[in-house]
Formats: sequence, C-alpha cells, structure tokens
Amino acid sequence: MSGDRPWAARATLRLTLLLAAAVAALSLLAMALQYRLVEDRMTEAARATLTADLGGLAALYEQRRIIALRQAIEYRGAARNGGEMLLLLDRRGNVLAGTEAGWPPGLTASGSGFTIDPAAEFTSGGTRWLGVARELPGGFPLLVARSLAPVDDTLAALRRGMAALGLALLLAGGGVGWLAARSVMGRIGRVNDLADRVAAGDLSARLPGPRSHDEFGLLETHVHAMLDRIENLNRATHRLSDNIAHELRTPLNRLMQKLSRIEGQEEVVDDLRAEIRQSIRVFDSLLDISRAEADQGTGGGLVPVSLSDVAQEVWELYEPLAEDKGLLPHASIAPGLQVLGDRNLIAQMISNLIDNAIKYCGPGDALRLTLSEGEGRHLMQLADTGPGLPADLRAEAFERFTRAERDRDRGIKGHGLGLALVRAIAARHGAKIDLPAAEKGFVLDIAWPKLAP
Amino acid sequence: MDRILIVEDDSETAEAIAREVRALGCTPVWHATLDEGVAAATEGGEFRVIVLDRMLPGGDGVEAMARIRAGGSRALILVLSALGRAAQRVEGLEKGADDYLPKPFEPEELRARLRALLRRGTIEVLDNDLLAFGDLEIRLKARTVHVRRNHVAVSPKEFELITFFARNAGQVVTRMQLLENVWNLHFDPGTNVVDVHVGRLRRKLEEAGAQAIQTARGEGYIFAPLRAN
Repeated sequence: MSGDRPWAARATLRLTLLLAAAVAALSLLAMALQYRLVEDRMTEAARATLTADLGGLAALYEQRRIIALRQAIEYRGAARNGGEMLLLLDRRGNVLAGTEAGWPPGLTASGSGFTIDPAAEFTSGGTRWLGVARELPGGFPLLVARSLAPVDDTLAALRRGMAALGLALLLAGGGVGWLAARSVMGRIGRVNDLADRVAAGDLSARLPGPRSHDEFGLLETHVHAMLDRIENLNRATHRLSDNIAHELRTPLNRLMQKLSRIEGQEEVVDDLRAEIRQSIRVFDSLLDISRAEADQGTGGGLVPVSLSDVAQEVWELYEPLAEDKGLLPHASIAPGLQVLGDRNLIAQMISNLIDNAIKYCGPGDALRLTLSEGEGRHLMQLADTGPGLPADLRAEAFERFTRAERDRDRGIKGHGLGLALVRAIAARHGAKIDLPAAEKGFVLDIAWPKLAP
Repeated sequence: MDRILIVEDDSETAEAIAREVRALGCTPVWHATLDEGVAAATEGGEFRVIVLDRMLPGGDGVEAMARIRAGGSRALILVLSALGRAAQRVEGLEKGADDYLPKPFEPEELRARLRALLRRGTIEVLDNDLLAFGDLEIRLKARTVHVRRNHVAVSPKEFELITFFARNAGQVVTRMQLLENVWNLHFDPGTNVVDVHVGRLRRKLEEAGAQAIQTARGEGYIFAPLRAN
C-alpha cells in the first residue's frame, strides 16, 4: 500500500520529465537552426568585406601594377587592426609589403585575378581566416584575408548561451515535473489513504475539508458517494437482520407458547419444539454469516481474546462427547496466544468444526486440534481421519447450503451452513482458511493474525 | 406476594410469561410500552424481577436498563428478546442484564430462569466455604467434593458444574443455563454436549453413593441430593 507509492510517484515524474525533455529538445532544435543562420550570414558578411578589399586592390593594380599595390598594402599595414591580413611577395619570396612576416605555411596561391573565388579558409596565429591567395602576373604572390575571429567569437558565445539555456530548460522542466508529481501524488495519496482506511474496515472514513473544483475534487466526490452507498448498505444489512429476527421469532414464539398448552401428546410437542429450535438455528446461522461478512474488516466489536483459552474451553466441552463416540481425540494447544476477536464467534467456529468432525467420524478415528505459533500468524489445525470431503465438494465446501449426497443418504442431519459460518467468522477476524490435501480424512488450517503486543 | 414486572408488546407472549410468573407464585404486572414499563419500574413500587423485551414501542429495553437502575429499582432484570444472537446476548449482559433469554423460548426455560433469579435475590450470600447436602459436601476454596467422607475426583469443569447445581439445588436447571453459566458460551451448539458432561459427573457421584442429579424430562436437570437419600 503506502510502500508502493514511490513507484506510482515515479510514473508521474517520468511523464513530466519526458515532457520537459521534449520541450528542451524542441527549443534546442530551434536554437540550432538560428545558429546555422547566424553562421551563414556572418560568413557571408566576411566574404563581402573581402570582396570589397579585393575590389579596391584590383583598382589600384589596374592603375600602376605592383608599385601601387605595394604602397597601398604598406599604408594599410601601418594602420593594422588585426582584422585583416595583406601580404605581397616578390618573385623570390621576399616580402615586399604586408602585415605578416612570411607566407602562412600550407597555403598555396591559385589563380591570378582579383575575384573572390576561389577563396580559402586557413588558420594562422590561432584564428581562422578567409582569404584569397593569388600569384599576380610576373610571379608576385598576393594574399588578402579577413579574420573570421569575430564570427567564431559570436558563434562560441551563441553556443555557450544555447548550452546554458538547454541546461536551464532541463532543470526547470525537471523541477516543474517534480513539483507537479508531488502535488498530483499528494492529491492521489489522500484518496489512496482513504481507500486503505476503508479497506481496513473503517467504512465511515472520509476526507476532511472542502472538495476542490478540479478532476481530483470530482474523484474525491465520487469516492465519497461510493463509500456512503457501501455504508448505507452495510447499515441496512444490520437493520434487516434485526428485523428478520424480530418478525420471524415473534410468531415462532407464539407457536412455542401454544405448544406448551397441548397436553397428553408430549412426544409430538417435543418433536415440534425441536423443529422450531432447528429453524431458529438455521436462520441464526444465516444471520450470523451475513453479519460476519458485513462486519468483515471492521475492527468494531473485536477485543483482545486468548485464542488458546477459547480453543481449550471448546475442546474440553467436546472431548467427552468424542470419547463417548469411540473417537481418539488429542489436542495440543500452545498457551497464551492472543488475537483480536469476538470470543463467542471464535468459540462458535471451533465448536462447529469439532461438532462436524464428531458427526462424520466413526469409532477408532483420530480427532486432533493443534494450535501453535507460526512465523507471522497463529496456526490452528483441525484434523480427523474420518471420511473427509468428497472430491467434488472441495471447491464449494464453504458455500451456503452445500451438503454431500452421501450425508443425506446416511441420514446425517445438517443444513450445510457450518463451514459457511466458519469461513465468515474467519474472514471477520482476518484469518485465512486452507484445506490442505490430506491422505485420509478432513484437515482444515486456519491462520490467525497475531495480536500486536 | 412477590411482584414481577413484564414489559412486552406482544400480548400473547406477555400472557405466556404471566402464566409462568403465576406458576411460581408471584404476581405479574404487565406494561406494553417501554416508557410505561420504565415508569412502573421506578415509581410503581418494588419488583423482584423485571422481564424486559428489546424491540418495544418507545425503544430498546437494553438501552432503558440504565434508566431503570437510575430510578432506584433494585429488581433483577431478565431480558427476553427476539434479538437472540450471541453478540446481542453478550451485549445485553454487559449492559447490566442479570439474564438474557432469546425468543422463542420454552416455558420451562423461562420458569427455570425466573426461579434462579428469585433465588438469587434471597440467598445471594454463599460466603460459606462448605456446601453440604446430607452426605455430599462441596468445599469451595479447596475445590473438592466428598461423598460419605470419600473424595470424589472431579475435573475443574465438573467442579464448576456441581457448584452451579448446588447453588440452584432443588430447582430445574436447563442445558442452556449450564452452557451459559458454566462454559460462558452464548450460542446453541445443536448437539447436546452438556449431557455428556452432566452424565459423567452424575456417574462419579452415583459410584460414590449420591443420587444427586436427576433428569427433568424435556426441561433439564435437578440437583436434589436430599430427596435421593
């Protein structure tokens, strides 16, 4: 019950985490698109600048060839800003003018015009450059490049921002998920606690406070309505059994009183009285069964009872009867075992079982009652070596009015309510009944919940 | 003459109770509703026993017992009700009833119960350690039984049985009374388990020479050791 709750909470948490992850992933995708766009635009801008540079240099070259280029590069190099790279070499590779001390390694000149294409990207001094390397007619290598550092810096900043944002999204999603899971589980937990209390028998348990106007409030209202109905039914069962008792016993009582006025036919009167007693026993059993079933799980009316004492008392009540019938009775009852129970009901149950055994067993059969302390429960076993249950009856032995054909044939009296009452009383006490397979005879195990000391 | 108050709404039943009351030599006073009954019990003079129904016009007799006691009545209360299941009987006894008989009842049973209650009113004090009936002696503290000075070995239950008989000596004691008082069981086991126990005790006493217990046909048993001698 309450131990399972973290798993249930995990389900809600998982769902919210999934949602958070999906939202974060979508946001990251959008940001990645934007990143790509920024990268393209900035590279485009760098190319445009480079194209403009080349255009200027081309115009100078048109006028006075290498001389003009050299002057312009020297002039531009003096005002170096780090953002551009210009280099003009002579035929032998000596620097005529430029911002660099030498030709960057790994870069080869290609083409001889002042067009932007083909452009090359290369790395020098730790930054990326976009540049064109040309060999001007006459064997003068020329390098014109623009630094891509601003682009890279911007992109790096963008990446850092995206990473931080992604992390923040995940954290926020997780946090919101956790909060949502906690609040949902809190609300569901209230309903679960209520269900636990009702299952434990407290039919009048209700949630305190007003209902909220959401689906949880609606759920609570529905649960309350169901509980009200169950409680009413239960109360009706109790009232009905009292009314049946009254309405049926009063006329039977008149009958009994009138019988006593009949004189001279004592045998008939005794028979009729026995019949009346028998009818009362049948409907008492039925009422006891339905009452015990209705009260099942409710702790009401149960008090600490010494199971050992009750078993011993009932055993002593029946032992002489068993002996007189030629049975071999033997009881082994561990002392001091306590349960939460109704002494009379327990006595009635054990009495029913022993009475049954005596009824069905013949001379020489063994009858054994054992009560011992088990691992988590008190174990009671009633075993005899009589005819046992017919195989076809095992499944329905505890149903009302189940009687074996052979009993009718043998003329054994009974109304088929004994075991049904046994089961109902066991259920009322939270005890488990089991019919273990036996080689011979009838064996019944009852595992009683221990009374917490 | 002793007066017995009957609070019962069914006139036929009330008449049957009244018959038993008269048979015991007492005067019946009948009221059909709870309020009248309580008023009679508290203001209508002294009653020895009150026979009280439960499902009455005006309420539950068991719930009214406190009012009857509070009104100063010292009468013993016998609840006679259709609410006769074990739990209801125990509830009635726990709430102060002196005896509880479920309906339908047999007249002999009611008579035995009333007689036991009337007796209890007179010889309540049995502080004497020794109960002697001619040759038969019961020592309460030592829990021993002797017949003609010979010890008769009885089991603890048999001792309780003979003590209960002795306290109601000369009166009919029913099986139901024995089951309730000696075994403290408030349901009808169907089988006459009690007979076997009484039979054993009876044989032991007879072997020792005391014809103390006799069967009252259709009613129960009578412990009458003096008559036997």
